[in-house]
Amino acid sequence: MSTSGFTRRQFLRVSALAGGGLLVACGGGGGGGGGSNPNNPQPPGNGGPSDAEQFTVSEFMRIGSDGRIHILVGASEIGQGALTSMPMIVAEELDADWDLVTAEHSPVAARFNNPYFGGLLQFTVASATTRGYFDNQRQVGAAVRQMLVNAAAERWQVSADSLRTERGVVYDDLNGRSASYGELAESAANQPVPSNPPLKDPASYRIIGQSKQRKDAAEKVNGTHLYGIDVDIPDMLTAVIARPPRFFGQALSVDSNAAMAVPGVREVHTIPSGVAVVADDYWSAEKGRQALEVSWNELLAGRTDSNDTRDEYSFKLNLPGVPIRVDGLVPVAQLAAAENRSADYFFPFQAHAAMEPLNVTVDYTGSKADIWTGSQSPTLDKTFASLILGLLPNQITFHTMSSGGGFGRRGNPLADYVRDACHVAKASQKPVKVMWTREDDMKGGYYRPAAAVRVGASMDNQGNITAWTHRAVTQDVTASLYAEELLDTLAEGQLPPFKELTDLETGMPYDIDNVLMDAHLTLKPQMPSLWMRSVNKFTDVFAQETFIDDIAVSYSRDPYQYRRGMLASKPRLLAVLDAAAQAANWGSTGGGRSQGIAVLNHWMSYVAQVVELSVSDDKVITLHRIVSAIDVGTAINPDLVVAQVESAVIFALTSVFYGEIELQDGVVQQSNFDDYKMLRMFQVPQIDTVVLPSNESPGGVGELGVPALGPALANAIFAATGEKIRELPLKNLGYTLAEQHPA
Amino acid sequence: MFTIRVNGEDHTVDVPADKPLLWVLREDLKLTGSKYGCGQALCGACTVHVDDQPTRSCVMPISAAEGHNITTVEAIDQQQIGRLVQQAWQELNVPQCGYCQSGQVMAATALLTENRSPSDRDIDEAMSGNICRCGTYARIRKAIHKIADEQL
Repeated sequence: MSTSGFTRRQFLRVSALAGGGLLVACGGGGGGGGGSNPNNPQPPGNGGPSDAEQFTVSEFMRIGSDGRIHILVGASEIGQGALTSMPMIVAEELDADWDLVTAEHSPVAARFNNPYFGGLLQFTVASATTRGYFDNQRQVGAAVRQMLVNAAAERWQVSADSLRTERGVVYDDLNGRSASYGELAESAANQPVPSNPPLKDPASYRIIGQSKQRKDAAEKVNGTHLYGIDVDIPDMLTAVIARPPRFFGQALSVDSNAAMAVPGVREVHTIPSGVAVVADDYWSAEKGRQALEVSWNELLAGRTDSNDTRDEYSFKLNLPGVPIRVDGLVPVAQLAAAENRSADYFFPFQAHAAMEPLNVTVDYTGSKADIWTGSQSPTLDKTFASLILGLLPNQITFHTMSSGGGFGRRGNPLADYVRDACHVAKASQKPVKVMWTREDDMKGGYYRPAAAVRVGASMDNQGNITAWTHRAVTQDVTASLYAEELLDTLAEGQLPPFKELTDLETGMPYDIDNVLMDAHLTLKPQMPSLWMRSVNKFTDVFAQETFIDDIAVSYSRDPYQYRRGMLASKPRLLAVLDAAAQAANWGSTGGGRSQGIAVLNHWMSYVAQVVELSVSDDKVITLHRIVSAIDVGTAINPDLVVAQVESAVIFALTSVFYGEIELQDGVVQQSNFDDYKMLRMFQVPQIDTVVLPSNESPGGVGELGVPALGPALANAIFAATGEKIRELPLKNLGYTLAEQHPA
Repeated sequence: MFTIRVNGEDHTVDVPADKPLLWVLREDLKLTGSKYGCGQALCGACTVHVDDQPTRSCVMPISAAEGHNITTVEAIDQQQIGRLVQQAWQELNVPQCGYCQSGQVMAATALLTENRSPSDRDIDEAMSGNICRCGTYARIRKAIHKIADEQL
């Protein structure tokens, strides 16, 4: 699995802290290695930054003389537990006392970039935190542990090999003595950095694989955990932005008299995306915005209409797209088949609707700036900020705050909300927090794009699938995710084999000889779209996995066994499928209950889900139980892995039952949680998650539980009613969700 | 000028009469534990206790809050049940992004204070006004039952 030793992207810098601690800086990243020779890891205090000031910027870990270990994390905490699981990996190889470990977000700097993205970005998307940083975090921990051991060996004049470490202490068992990491930290800083520190055998892990409590849990239940929206700096003003009714409209004329007359309103500024009302506080700004009169130039504004989009995409399903996977000879197999059939699917736009509405605080003085915001994409956000503010990146301090939910919305490569805030700050020249209301957030675009999918299958007379076709019509940014396997290959630092260049990922795992997949990657610059948790898998896997049941049932095959028969070459998928079926007592339900199953691999992890439900004559669905079986490789913190699956199940249920943003002639119709509903406590069924043990490399977890849930649910509805679900959300098909505990 | 009693202390603020309690707490009193989520009493992120009743502070004008006892998440550990809720939430890894959790903690504390042995139906009724986009509902239910079964 992992390689030990530092790659050319990584090196450590270590120095003593004033006051006797140890400071470790982890070099990394593809563009900002600090002028060091990337092929020669630097010895401590030689050639690299050597004064404390610089280390304060580049520090990765601090070991205090009191033994406390503070770790800076390059990934963003968006609820997934990055500020707990990342330090667990370091602490494991370091043999730290977990109780003495704390963590916070790192600065935005190249050395904290995620190796998965070529070391180019801090970018918390694509379920890439653990699988991206895992090797590098282990190496950092192992190197520092070795230096602590070497310091003890020097102090005691014994061989380092005769010493062992446990919970933050170096032991010399032969001579019955020990020293804590805190005692050794200062002298350890003078040790050479080992270039090839030994990594632990997974069998001896004592932190990785344990269900540790989240490090941020206490702050998150007592109100002290700070999100971007909680930032408060001296003399800060608050702004809201009046935006055009249609995307990319422009303010033509602004009458700000009434707005400026609202007590507390200080300034009104026209910026590219709208008109900002800047006030002493939020309430004044919001009242000022209501009083503002703006006429909009909408000549170039977006006119996307949900109904037209559906018609357009349905038409495009009839036209060949760009091939993304070609196996065998589909036309020949189709001619030879006993039966060919196909089905069309449609999926609407959806909003991420994170609980913390977007917000950014900017303190811009003309020659430097501080920016605070919850972001999944701080590197690109900072880059756009420097362009707009006319500052060099080193004149900007970007404070990545905990996000009150992200789901992709805070990972916009175009940095929309940071750009807006920088425009306001540049116009105002005062510290300002730009707030989005819920309505701003709901209507603000960058949605999961609408999509249409046509799946087709050819069967022999036994119902065995001999050919499979899959055509997707969706929009720009999401379609790029069809290159998932390509990204994975490139992340390994290899050129992909030629076959993989055409064998891009849609999540179709079955052993079928002839496969043709193509896609229309529609460009719609006036309809801002973005990835949303599980991206295209949500739509593609829904179509694929419901169509599998369509075929299985018509040939009187059990949907679970039918899948088994096509996964013989995919042992990890087979294992989760079997585990889910077993945990759900597949096939042995009674009392009017029905089950549905679905399976997929996603970001190098594997999941199968079973939904058990019953449906009344008036289409009221009672969910009885949802079982997920997952193989995520090495699970760093199993309880947080389970929490992510539970989260994904709820997230998917919301999408499947309710998720729809409608546009009429370019105007978004939804505005708040009354017309964009979320699943609530009274609708939540029993949720069980089985984690299969594995020592394989960690796979992605955050998105894993989303895509299979919808088709498993739809398959259960199909089993219960015979209705084939070919579009979402289910509310549009007349389905409602029953109370779990009716009076 | 309005005087409100928050977490046992009187505070006088010079704000418009229609400014919601939530924004007075967050902006004027710097108590940012109560969160803005929807502004329309739809999500529960802003839940505080007004005379021990869980209340959506985002739609309560400051003029209506005068003369009442207001408790926010910052002081809920002064109540035994509030403390138990915070502890159980940590033990069971309830929070994810955590943004809604101060509202969840306030709603759960009010429920358990009123009803020391809530049924699932009771939990549904008391907690369904609080949205959690991370989907921590199952753990919230489990934590409430755990407190009721083991500690009350």
